[in-house]
Amino acid sequence: MNFLWENIFKRFEKEQSILSVLSKNILFKNLTKKELRFIEKIVHIRKYRAREVIFRQNENGVGMYIIVKGKVDISVIDDVLMERAQEKDVVITRLEAGDFFGELSLVEDSGRRSATSVAAEDTVLIGFFKPDLLEILERSPTTGVKVVFRLAEVLGRRLKETTDKITQLKKEIRLVSELQGFHK
Amino acid sequence: MNLEIMRQKIIRRERRVRLLAVTLILAFTLTVLLVIPSMLSSFLIAFVITFIFKPIVNLLERRGLNRTTAVLIPFLFSIILVAALSSAFLPRLSEQMTTLQTEIPVYVSNVTELTKKNSVKLNNAVSQYYKINVFEEATAWLQRSSTQFVSNVPNILSTALSTLILAPFFAFFMLKDGRTFIHQLLSVVPNNLFELSLNLQFQINQQLGGFVRARILESALVGIIVWVGLLLLGFPYALFLAIFAGVTNIIPYIGPVIGAAPAIIIALGNQNSGFVIAVLAAIYILAQVLDMLLVIPLVVAKIVDLHPVTVVLAIIIGGQVMGILGMIISIPVASIIKLTFIEFYHHVVDFRG
Repeated sequence: MNFLWENIFKRFEKEQSILSVLSKNILFKNLTKKELRFIEKIVHIRKYRAREVIFRQNENGVGMYIIVKGKVDISVIDDVLMERAQEKDVVITRLEAGDFFGELSLVEDSGRRSATSVAAEDTVLIGFFKPDLLEILERSPTTGVKVVFRLAEVLGRRLKETTDKITQLKKEIRLVSELQGFHK
Repeated sequence: MNLEIMRQKIIRRERRVRLLAVTLILAFTLTVLLVIPSMLSSFLIAFVITFIFKPIVNLLERRGLNRTTAVLIPFLFSIILVAALSSAFLPRLSEQMTTLQTEIPVYVSNVTELTKKNSVKLNNAVSQYYKINVFEEATAWLQRSSTQFVSNVPNILSTALSTLILAPFFAFFMLKDGRTFIHQLLSVVPNNLFELSLNLQFQINQQLGGFVRARILESALVGIIVWVGLLLLGFPYALFLAIFAGVTNIIPYIGPVIGAAPAIIIALGNQNSGFVIAVLAAIYILAQVLDMLLVIPLVVAKIVDLHPVTVVLAIIIGGQVMGILGMIISIPVASIIKLTFIEFYHHVVDFRG
């Protein structure tokens, strides 16, 4: 009898964790409990072993992943290393539970992945893809619009970060060239 | 390093097992469909019903109904509609069919008579090129096919009846639990093929839905034009002939010819004037022309992106393998194969470039 109860509680706990991960993610914030349960039925739970590739750079991507458990390494192909015939990826960041990645693919038309992602340890991910977003928009437009609005917010923030980074880099380049002129 | 190799080995093995599981599930489903009689046709009709009802079900779901209720409503509505239409049209249709059944031998003998009358002329003309006796061949063919048609009616009816019961049953569960089934099937797909499979499934679904809706639109258009045309002409069995033309229109290329044949035979049998036969032919041609000018370029061509040669080849292969059913499903099957091939190519080969 005991094992039965254990199983039920485990399942309940697992469902809770998926729901709580979804509710904490910026894309699904402000959604009601009912809406979250609807999203939960649509998203995909994927399990990856340590060092298993989630997606590769330049591959066609159709959606994003949210980390439920584990860690994910994001890496890019280093051109300098490639030229030296040492085809190697350089890890640019390590993401942890609650983080998400690949959201640009949700809105891109046949977009290519800009980096490679590999599970750094045994990892559980929530996969949320373009067909899923379209399904939400078709079946529950109110929920869909909320998600799309949040997605736009995330992409806008990423754009702002990129613009800031470019401005910063331009400043640094100008500074370096000025310093070079000063030394000459 | 050894640990890394071990890990990769385990990952690869797991992927192979998952791929095998998915392949077995799909192969088993396909075998069941092909081996068990009337299963494939029931499944295909269920597919058609699903694609017609899906927008309605989604609309009802958007209005706040739960999925099961949203699925039940169009089914209940259709049952009422079919019952109402049957009570209104069935007596007329069955009357037309009974009259047609009793009159078929008369038409056949009349056509035979007609052929006999002109046989000398026709034989003289044809024998210059082919060594056959047109009259004998035509009479034999006509008698053979009309006997076959009459003797096949009970068989056709029993298959149709089981299909009519099974198809809505399948369609109900496809609409209610189809997503869950696909979701579960996708959960078995190996990680490296997951995004590809999900996207492929979505695209195939979109394409098939569009294709089925376009074909139904075509059939309805052809059926309505033929019905109105025949009514205006005051031709007998207008409703039956219009339904027949609409249904046979789903068979590519030869469908329209099969659809028009009964009307022409009836006209010849009734010894209608040349003018009536010409108008009759014009009605059927008009239906086809409107279909070709409006529906095919505006709807079908956008959905199925296949070269005309590929379409013809697909239809020939479909016809050779599975007869008329093969011809009907050949174009969507060909477009699914093309889509799958392109997606796999992009995934496996192209992205590395």
